[in-house]
Amino acid sequence: MKLKIAITTLLAIVFMGQAKAQEKLEITGYARNYTGVLTGGDNEFSIVQNTLNLKFEKNSNKVAFKVNPYLHHYFDSDLELGLREAFLDLRFENFDVRVGKQQIIYGKSEGVFITDVVSPKDLKEFLLPDFDEIRMGITAAKVNYYFGNSTVEAVWAPVFTPTQMPEMNSIWRPTMPFPMAPTYDYTTAKIKPSLENSELFLRFSNMGSFADFEIVGGYFWDDDPSMHITKQINPITMQLTGLTVRPEHHRLTMGGASFSMPLGPTIVKAEGGYYSGKLFQTQTPTIPDATIERDYLHYLVGLEYSLAGIMLSAQFIQENILDYEQGIRNDEIESTMTFLAKKSFLREKLWLELFAYVGLNNKDALIRPKVSYGFADGFDILLGANIFVGDKGRFGQYNANDMVYVKLKYSF
Amino acid sequence: MRTKTVTMLIIAFVVSGFSNQSVAQLTGQQVIEKVYNNPSGDDTQGNLSMTLTNNRGEQRERNLKQYIKDDGKVEKKIMYFLSPADVRNTSFMNWSYSDGQSDNQWIYLPALKRVRRISSDSKSDYFMGSDFTFDDLGDRHPNQDSHKLLREETIDGKECYVVESTPKESGYIYSKTITWVMKDNYLGLKREFYDDRSTLLKVLTIKNYAKIDGFWTILETEMHNVQRDHKTTIKFTEVQKNKGIPDSRFTERSMTLGS
Repeated sequence: MKLKIAITTLLAIVFMGQAKAQEKLEITGYARNYTGVLTGGDNEFSIVQNTLNLKFEKNSNKVAFKVNPYLHHYFDSDLELGLREAFLDLRFENFDVRVGKQQIIYGKSEGVFITDVVSPKDLKEFLLPDFDEIRMGITAAKVNYYFGNSTVEAVWAPVFTPTQMPEMNSIWRPTMPFPMAPTYDYTTAKIKPSLENSELFLRFSNMGSFADFEIVGGYFWDDDPSMHITKQINPITMQLTGLTVRPEHHRLTMGGASFSMPLGPTIVKAEGGYYSGKLFQTQTPTIPDATIERDYLHYLVGLEYSLAGIMLSAQFIQENILDYEQGIRNDEIESTMTFLAKKSFLREKLWLELFAYVGLNNKDALIRPKVSYGFADGFDILLGANIFVGDKGRFGQYNANDMVYVKLKYSF
Repeated sequence: MRTKTVTMLIIAFVVSGFSNQSVAQLTGQQVIEKVYNNPSGDDTQGNLSMTLTNNRGEQRERNLKQYIKDDGKVEKKIMYFLSPADVRNTSFMNWSYSDGQSDNQWIYLPALKRVRRISSDSKSDYFMGSDFTFDDLGDRHPNQDSHKLLREETIDGKECYVVESTPKESGYIYSKTITWVMKDNYLGLKREFYDDRSTLLKVLTIKNYAKIDGFWTILETEMHNVQRDHKTTIKFTEVQKNKGIPDSRFTERSMTLGS
């Protein structure tokens, strides 16, 4: 309700502003229908979504604002109103200040989140939506200071926003490895908004003829809660009689860097982050709440190359838990690869694309072929499929969710 | 004395004859160098409107704003896409080096909210679905081709040199080009592009040009792919020269904040 009021208010402000300065206020956006059907079982619709996405922007040399409300209508639920971004900019000669709800993106990788830890993810439909829809805006104050081709960016986020997980009955709800249906205790699941619970991020970036690079750091809450488990055991039979799962977010400290550089016709890129304070699930019985704190590394190397007009890209990603011990539910090293091939035809009216995540530990994959056609300027028809391979792992767990979909989108 | 006078007259005649000959018989290389070195100002800004017309007469339009700055060593260009709506606020930046180093290119996609470095080794790719390749839109250095003056010719009332240019590198997108260069201002008025089978592929025609802020400037040009009967017209408007575009225009900040 509060959200609806906020949006209504903002829209009213925007429209009042429009009346005063119609020539400068830009209204852009898109209307889209997205229909997906599962290819297995009873061919149920996995999604039927109608979207109106609006962007109101006004720019001048010194100030700017942007408001980006969206409206989703689903066939099986009520309207969903949201605000992807709503911020104000103050622009000075060598620095900018942006205050409000905003998406902040770090790193050089594509489709992978390594140092990109500022904006949390909306995983209601796993990793399938467009990335501007997966990344949620956070309420923050951001200051960018510029000198030459370098930028120093500081972000203060006073309010923590966690990962948006799928609903309990959603087909995209990840598999929980519990021996029995647990009882959830959400008493510690929320982070109280307060000064001491703020998140801080710092980034230095440089763009040059030799290479582009970024150095980033952050002190923030883990967007994904750790599951603290309490077991109820019958003292007589010693049988497990109940499980209580208490999700709780914990502080993480991260330092990382990324770069991309041309090497002949190839773009080489790398990105890595060191995370301290992560709690992993463990099956070691002597650990009472089934979590154990370990630092970990997350890194990537990637290549991009164009061959006969086909844009090709490959990335190799690893997550490496340091000081690993038996019982931790995650593998010590988990390796993933991504592949992309993309080519346009008919003077960029027709695009063919194939993107794939391949999990090397579990031999699972998500393969995403797409074909899109520009029926008219701004009007695109996209046909695609999401094919899950394997029976376990990050992608294989959704093996029953293979789907084909169509998106009709009109941008204005 | 008389002999001396005759000798002087002969020398004067010979010298003036050589002199006239040197003006009339510029080599193809010299003509193309004059085109390449035609002063264009240290910086240029303006709007660019591109109309694509297919063989059924259907048209699509793209609009951009661009800034170019050249300090003699690096030419920096940034383009902001204004329309169509699905590419609005995308920006593209290119740094081109006079020493032959490969170009650096970046693109900012507003949906991804970050600047990405992209491979610049795709100069044969067509720009935004038009009939211009990235290479057609750039300045090709005269030393990359061998040039031969074919003839002099008058087209549209303009006296022109006609120069054939053959690439020195193998595998270049064109087997040769033929350029009509106006004698009075060394602007290329027309150019024919031949494919790898030496068949005419495209014809570039300058439709409008003028002196802007003291520099000859092309204001309208058309590229006609004669094999596919597809045309692209580019019009430059609100062109300004030497207005002192700051270096900060060609940065990550500028790409993300827009035009």
